[in-house]
Amino acid sequence: MDTLVDLGNGFATALQPASLAFALLGVLMGTVVGVLPGIGPISAIAILIPVSFGMEPMHGLILLCGIYYGSMYGGSITATLIKTPGEISSAVTAIEGYEMARRGRAKTALATAAIGSFLAGTLAIIGLTFLSPVLVRLATVFGATEYFLLMATALLLASTMSSGSRTKALISVFIGLAVGLVGLDFQTGLPRQTFGISLLSDGIDFTIFAMALFAIPEAIRNLALGRGAKEEIQRFGDAKWMTKEDWKRSTGPWARGSVLGFIIGILPGVGPSLASFMSYIMEKRLSKRKDEFGHGAIEGVAGPEAANNAGVGGAMVPLFSLGIPGSATTALLLFVFTMYGLQPGPLIFRDESGLIWAIIASMYIGNIALIVLNLPLVGVFVKLLKMPKEILFSAILVLVTIGAYAIEFSLFGLMLLGLFGVIGYLMEKGGIPLAPSILALVLVPLLEDNFRRMLQISGGSFLPLITRPVSLSIVVLMLLGIIGPIVFRWWVRRRHLLMDVTVA
Amino acid sequence: MARPLTASHRRDLITGGAIVLVGVVYYSATFAIRRTDDIVTPATFPAIVGIALILLGGILVTQALMRRETPAEAVPGSSSTAGAAASAGEPGVVIAAPPEPRSKQVVLQFAIFFVYLAILIPVGFLLSTAAFLMGLTSLYAPDRWIRNLVFSVLFAAVVYFAFVYGLAVYLPAGILG
Repeated sequence: MDTLVDLGNGFATALQPASLAFALLGVLMGTVVGVLPGIGPISAIAILIPVSFGMEPMHGLILLCGIYYGSMYGGSITATLIKTPGEISSAVTAIEGYEMARRGRAKTALATAAIGSFLAGTLAIIGLTFLSPVLVRLATVFGATEYFLLMATALLLASTMSSGSRTKALISVFIGLAVGLVGLDFQTGLPRQTFGISLLSDGIDFTIFAMALFAIPEAIRNLALGRGAKEEIQRFGDAKWMTKEDWKRSTGPWARGSVLGFIIGILPGVGPSLASFMSYIMEKRLSKRKDEFGHGAIEGVAGPEAANNAGVGGAMVPLFSLGIPGSATTALLLFVFTMYGLQPGPLIFRDESGLIWAIIASMYIGNIALIVLNLPLVGVFVKLLKMPKEILFSAILVLVTIGAYAIEFSLFGLMLLGLFGVIGYLMEKGGIPLAPSILALVLVPLLEDNFRRMLQISGGSFLPLITRPVSLSIVVLMLLGIIGPIVFRWWVRRRHLLMDVTVA
Repeated sequence: MARPLTASHRRDLITGGAIVLVGVVYYSATFAIRRTDDIVTPATFPAIVGIALILLGGILVTQALMRRETPAEAVPGSSSTAGAAASAGEPGVVIAAPPEPRSKQVVLQFAIFFVYLAILIPVGFLLSTAAFLMGLTSLYAPDRWIRNLVFSVLFAAVVYFAFVYGLAVYLPAGILG
């Protein structure tokens, strides 16, 4: 009951004109940026973080959560119409959605994506609403050992669950950790890994790192490519949004995608991308029309898009209740919380209960805004796809430069931005995924702090890792997280389920 | 080792080697950290990270040398579109990898960007940004110089006023100030 009262109070705040305006603005901005080819949710949030600098914490966070959903839907539009997924979570939509668009069913693909996203997103937030208080109560028994383990699990899962080489994903994690350790040690105040550069003792700013990694390589690559063949933008067609048949075929995938996405989203270190791929595989397996998959099966859009958005709500559960981000995107949000001097976790529900419930309430509103704004306005968003590349990407470079300047107000900060841009480019060229390093960079202070406290309490012994019941359960989860994906891959390969989805 | 290395092997060799090097440099830097008598010293974590980077880089090199059959799961330079556990097999739906630009072009673009970063504060936001945008867009589409000029000047001005007066983020005024 308490939860409902808290949520009601949250709505009272979230429905105030200013909060409402920021929720709508966020969704709108997110969609606009997410539609831009090559810009996914992570890049969208990274580029737009500086906008929230001067805002009140609540408004800033409501805005960024809105940007998160908006950019996810924006990414689906791009994937459907020009087959350019902004990030991996919409890669499946780039297959099935694009095929639907080629057959003149773009409108239907976008509608099933939007409605599925709305339903799944709302269900996931309901899950978030009722699961978070439970987890918060559970978290009171968590000590340094458990927190250390949870964060280590998140990093480990982020690398084992990723799609390409696991070694490279782990390298990415350790690059993030390496960057995060630069600066003064928070316990002793001693400088570390500064290479004698005193300006580095403040550490490397997270936003600069995120912007450099997620905006600069993509912008430089596109500008360096020069004018090539024009991308073919699929037309809408005059077909109806959704026929009765479409509704019938979408309902099952929506429901299954929602549940799957939410559960996967909760797991630490596993973002929505895995959810959308698993939903695709599941729908293909369950479908009576397997031959339609790869040629525009509506189930292949409805399920993954629902899973994708349910995953967002799921990923918020560990973020809000434990302070542990499950993915690179939620890591960005965690950073924004700490930027405002807030620490998500059990205490935030006690000390800042008004704020956190208003944010949760605003997510319900954001989801409604998504469907109310986006379906009618989709024609306007599509125009953005025609924006000349040189304009888009040179403007993005200017925006991240402003962002870096607004953080450090120094040449040094600007040069760090450029340097990490080069590093990000080289990482991409070497096939090292960028997202795990962002997660690692956010987690490193907490990881190290809890690691130290754990060993100080135990007098240097690692035994508490397996002697405490809760920590032992996390260790088991961790092992499952390592073995699970291996079994899953083997199963997928054996059943030839994903054989025909090759990423060249 | 009779088989010639494929592009993907070569890439992994170089990447792995570079990571080992970074790890070595990072690990050596931990010796500069003053030791304390805690159980976990300030140098413990950085040392673990350095060693892990060396090991992982080594594993990547070893994997590249050991892999005999041509791999199909590699996703060159496209973390954004990387796929699931897809492997080679019958041809089907293929998400094309984004095309790779020429290295010379990439270096040029980065060089222009660094010049912009360097002159931003001394010259000021308005002038340096307009020049930077004009430079990039004109390299890309030289025939549309009027549009480029209008965009460069307008964008710089609008962004400047939006940030300075709207968001109270004071951008450098430079020589115009």
